[in-house]
Amino acid sequence: MCGLALFSDMTQRSALIVALFALAAPSFAQERVSVVTTTTDLRSLTEAVGGDRVEAVSIVPPNMDAEDYQPKPQDVLRLKRARLLIRVGLDYDLWLDRLLTQTGRPEISRGGAAYVDASFGIAVLELRGMSVGPGDGHAHGSGNPHYWLDPKNAETITANIAEALERIDPANAPTYEANRQAFLARLESKLQEWKMKLGSLQGVPIVAYHNSWPYFARRFRLDFVSFIEMKPGVPPSPSQLATIIRDMRARGVHIIVREQQEPERDALFVASKTGAQVVTLAASVGALPRADDYISLFDVNVEKLASTAGK
Amino acid sequence: MMIEAIQFLWPSFVMAVCLVGIHAYFGIMVLARKVIFVDLALAQIAALGATVAFMLGHPAQSMATYGYSLACTLIAAVLLAFTRAWAARVPQEALIGVVYVVAAATAILLIDRAPQGAEHLKQILTGNILTSSLNEVAVIVPLYVAIGLLHWLLRRRLMGSGSLVWEFVFYATFGVVVTSSVAIAGVLLVFSFLIIPAAIGVMFAHSLPRQLALGWLIGIFVSAMGLAVSFVFDLPTGAAMVCAFGTSLALAGALYPVLRGDRRWAIRSTVATVRWISAAILAGSALQFAVAPRADQPLIDVAEYAVPALRTLYLTRAEATTFADAGEHAERYRKEAEQLNERERRSRTGGQVLDDYSVARISSFLKSYGEMRKGEQFVMAEVRMRARERIRWGASLGLLTAALLVAPIPWRRLSRRS
Repeated sequence: MCGLALFSDMTQRSALIVALFALAAPSFAQERVSVVTTTTDLRSLTEAVGGDRVEAVSIVPPNMDAEDYQPKPQDVLRLKRARLLIRVGLDYDLWLDRLLTQTGRPEISRGGAAYVDASFGIAVLELRGMSVGPGDGHAHGSGNPHYWLDPKNAETITANIAEALERIDPANAPTYEANRQAFLARLESKLQEWKMKLGSLQGVPIVAYHNSWPYFARRFRLDFVSFIEMKPGVPPSPSQLATIIRDMRARGVHIIVREQQEPERDALFVASKTGAQVVTLAASVGALPRADDYISLFDVNVEKLASTAGK
Repeated sequence: MMIEAIQFLWPSFVMAVCLVGIHAYFGIMVLARKVIFVDLALAQIAALGATVAFMLGHPAQSMATYGYSLACTLIAAVLLAFTRAWAARVPQEALIGVVYVVAAATAILLIDRAPQGAEHLKQILTGNILTSSLNEVAVIVPLYVAIGLLHWLLRRRLMGSGSLVWEFVFYATFGVVVTSSVAIAGVLLVFSFLIIPAAIGVMFAHSLPRQLALGWLIGIFVSAMGLAVSFVFDLPTGAAMVCAFGTSLALAGALYPVLRGDRRWAIRSTVATVRWISAAILAGSALQFAVAPRADQPLIDVAEYAVPALRTLYLTRAEATTFADAGEHAERYRKEAEQLNERERRSRTGGQVLDDYSVARISSFLKSYGEMRKGEQFVMAEVRMRARERIRWGASLGLLTAALLVAPIPWRRLSRRS
């Protein structure tokens, strides 16, 4: 009798557990893939590929120089919860390596199944020395890291992201691929529009504060002839500044490009000596108002440059 | 070249003269009060005020931002005025240091909520005297003249031990000066303008007018030298000027005993100091060479950099050939990599744009050239290290002998005693 009651109790418990699992199963299936990216640009591209299947957060806030970012305790927690990590690479987000060591999760560390270096497969420009970061046999060297500023490179970046998402969430692989194709089709049509708008600037000499624009220049055939800050973090010397001003006058440079976080004072000084206009562009999603996603980032930049050229 | 330099640098020089004018005076006051780092604390407070304004949505260069900076500086002036009263138990410099670190940390916490303010804060504290304009001179001159006049009128009250009110007046006016000057020239240069001319003035003169006159003369001369050095040697201006000021203080320190004390004794002690330092460097290098011949040898490296022919003293003919060969190859790879980079850069705007495949090929070649160059540099380092390892004992002995010869050891007296 007692044994029968015990058996009945166990059956009820088992049924309850099975019922709970059955209820929980759809919610597991619906759980979104949590992705951590280092920059807002990669977050935007991840959202373009993942759609509502992913929940992406970026570590570096918009408008902050990702190369100078100082990680916070919450970043470790974000990485501990992440199913996928996507970084810029090319020594741009070197601080991430220490953070990953603290996280202690090999799957999101170099070589792990949930680790994506978005620069993999990118045709790197201006490669001059060897990498200062830890290599894994695929060292990218210290080429210019602003590769996301060529919209064509979004094909490679999204391919890296889609491949990783499909690996960790194979059930939704067709969705990721369809999202990616739709995004690239939209990007392609926008690219033609941007090229047309910047057509008048082809070959026009431009000076930038910092060398963030070679990929953008290559795609839109812009001629960045010089930079105010020749070495990152080192203010220009008088003779450098004198040379830039002389060259700008000689070549008739009328546009100086700077980013929001770069010193306005130095750019305005050069502009005052040459009669050039200073135009502030966004090198990252969220760096300027209306640059809310990857496509609007280019919309804003193209619009600003085109309107400056028209003046 | 000369005319271009003058044309380019004279607004910066005029600005430097204005900054030296007011800061040399405040420097003498600051040295007398023993609150050397007060300008750093006030600058940081002003930056904190500007950060608050920026977070509230005011543009960087607006009057509202200046108002917030000034308000924060005045609050800090009240606090600093009180610190003198507390200095009996805790040194005033310690309290000033606390004000500085708390202001800096608070600004970082605020910036964490408004990342676009980070660069703004950096700009407030870094400045760049090279890009200063005559418009800025026109703004600061009346301000500095007014503050100078106020200090002259209140000189008796401000010079003395002072009540809380006069302490506040001193720190408030100093705060106004620092708020404007740091934004123009940066924290490092303003600190140099403040302390170094005043220190040299105090070193060589006793009355305030003489200290001030000497500080002004030295400050203006060193500023001109710093600007010239920055132009000729292609160096960042602020850093070059700070180093020029540092050198001037070192020279003043070396000259002081010669001009003010027993001249013969001063020269002898200076020579002895130089000889002891040289001997210590030589002996340290000897020890380093003997213990770790494959490690960096700073003294030998500097000597070889200045006179490359020195390598022939210890490299065999075969080693010298390998070294030269590797150097030539490394340079060739660098040039070829630069040519490829230039070819890609030119293709962005002229002629047929390179397709992604061609760019990827160039990128691949560049990586290879980088590796090959690194390999050649490794060969050069290895050849040199092996040769140095071979001569370690002889070279160490030579360096030690040189150290003993250079050191001002009284050999005769020692031999007589023995």
